[in-house]
Amino acid sequence: MTDAAPKRSWLNPIIAALLVAALQTAALGYMIEGRASILRNGREILLKTVPVDPRDLLRGDYVILSYDISRLEPELFKGDLPAQSEETTLYVRLNKQIDGFWQATEASFQPLPTLGDSVLLRSQPFSYYPTSPPSAVTVDYGIERFYVPEGEGRVLEEARNAEALSVSVRVDDKGQAQIREIAINGAPIYQEPLY
Amino acid sequence: MYRARLERDFKLWMDKGLLREDAARAMLAEYDGRESTFRAGRVLLILAALLLSASILLLVAANWGALPRLARVAGIVALIWAFHFAAAWLQRAGRSALAAAALVLGVATFGASIALVGQMYHLSGDAADAALLWFAGACLSALTFRSAAMATVAGGLAWFYFISLLTEDGFGLSFDWRTWLVPVLCVVVVVQVRLADAGRARHLAYLLLVSWLAWRYVDHPSLAFAGGLAAAGLVAFLAATLPGSPLRQLAIEAGSAPAFYSFALALLGFTALQYQAVGVPTEVATGAGTLLVALLGIALAGAQNGAVRYLGYLAFAGELLYLAFETLGTMIGTSGFFLISGLVVAGIAWLVIRIEGHMAQTRRTEVSQ
Repeated sequence: MTDAAPKRSWLNPIIAALLVAALQTAALGYMIEGRASILRNGREILLKTVPVDPRDLLRGDYVILSYDISRLEPELFKGDLPAQSEETTLYVRLNKQIDGFWQATEASFQPLPTLGDSVLLRSQPFSYYPTSPPSAVTVDYGIERFYVPEGEGRVLEEARNAEALSVSVRVDDKGQAQIREIAINGAPIYQEPLY
Repeated sequence: MYRARLERDFKLWMDKGLLREDAARAMLAEYDGRESTFRAGRVLLILAALLLSASILLLVAANWGALPRLARVAGIVALIWAFHFAAAWLQRAGRSALAAAALVLGVATFGASIALVGQMYHLSGDAADAALLWFAGACLSALTFRSAAMATVAGGLAWFYFISLLTEDGFGLSFDWRTWLVPVLCVVVVVQVRLADAGRARHLAYLLLVSWLAWRYVDHPSLAFAGGLAAAGLVAFLAATLPGSPLRQLAIEAGSAPAFYSFALALLGFTALQYQAVGVPTEVATGAGTLLVALLGIALAGAQNGAVRYLGYLAFAGELLYLAFETLGTMIGTSGFFLISGLVVAGIAWLVIRIEGHMAQTRRTEVSQ
């Protein structure tokens, strides 16, 4: 701290700039491609939202989306439940219903096998507190926010609260979900491009 | 502040004939020429860079529909490249302050681009991961450019990571690997501060570590953890200050921080132990321990380290008042509390005056030898 001599840099600044910019760009590219590949290759499911105006400091306005499948009733659970409170994830099996929407038919704290036409979703990590008898669990899937241009959130919120909003989601084989399209009364209003 | 005090003291010493005028002028000139010396221009430059960074971040947050998404990504990546190459060019031209400002802009743009990707794909519940990636970007820039400004930014982003972890989990930390990463980030920041010679930025890391430990205790209070904190803090403090300790020299080279923060950690541990204590005898035992640690700190490091000395006084006074209130206060009521407080503070004042006098005496004998 007391050393007043100017410190020598160990890398040519140009090489340093190249390294930093290239690696930061690569990190962004990796993030983008990871998401785009879910949109490109994932299986499509249609979800119904349920009624629930915050603002994200860095990412701007967004609408909170809550789904039928966000709340899992205790009857759905198969296999062992954690005996004590812990940080865990849930695997949720979805099946297509007659009305075209997908519903949770099974949930487990252990990985579920793929089965027929069903789609497996993986929840975000959450804190589970065991109760007896087991109670319903609310989970997130990483598709609970939809960012909209400043001031355009109101229409979506009203539609969501009128239960007219449906969300098409693509799911990859790891159970990661990615929003692809938002529709009001079946008419798409936001379609997400790959990039 | 320090500069003004230095000048005043020099004047006093010149008047007393202790210091020659040309020597004083040379010393001030040396001080002014130091890299780390406060300069209004430099500070304003970094402030300007931070304001511009905020504008980039907010532009992303506005989710401006006039530009297609891919154009936004391309634009922001182009900005990342532009800022870093500008920094390289400025550094080669010897304009280190401007280079630091360009690096700040570069890393802020990287943060904005992470937010942009999050916005594009509607990612939710990943604020801490994003903060971690942003931190990694800042570290990369700090290491390759060996930049003190970037080491400081990395320290700030380590804090941002900790705060996003806390807010994401609603202030109740679940102790998985992401929480255990916080002390790792502290170590990374300290290493960078040493490499880039960033001086005061190390306090960001030390404060983060102490806050993290405090949070860990508040979230999961346990006797073992409190005892561990007290023991670890005490051992670290002794290692940093006990004459003959192999680590002492290293700690002194790092300034007053190691002694101060290990001392703070030990006191935090004893405060936690006090919180765990049940019944008057254990209260008094842990209280006596705290008093001893405070005195030990003043005796071992108080002479060289003003921060340790004042923290020691504060802990000593606080602990005595607490003990008086816990044991006697309940019996004699509130008026008695003020009587005891007055007596205790008077006692402490007497003790402090004795200690300070003793320290001044030793310093004088050292000088005359």
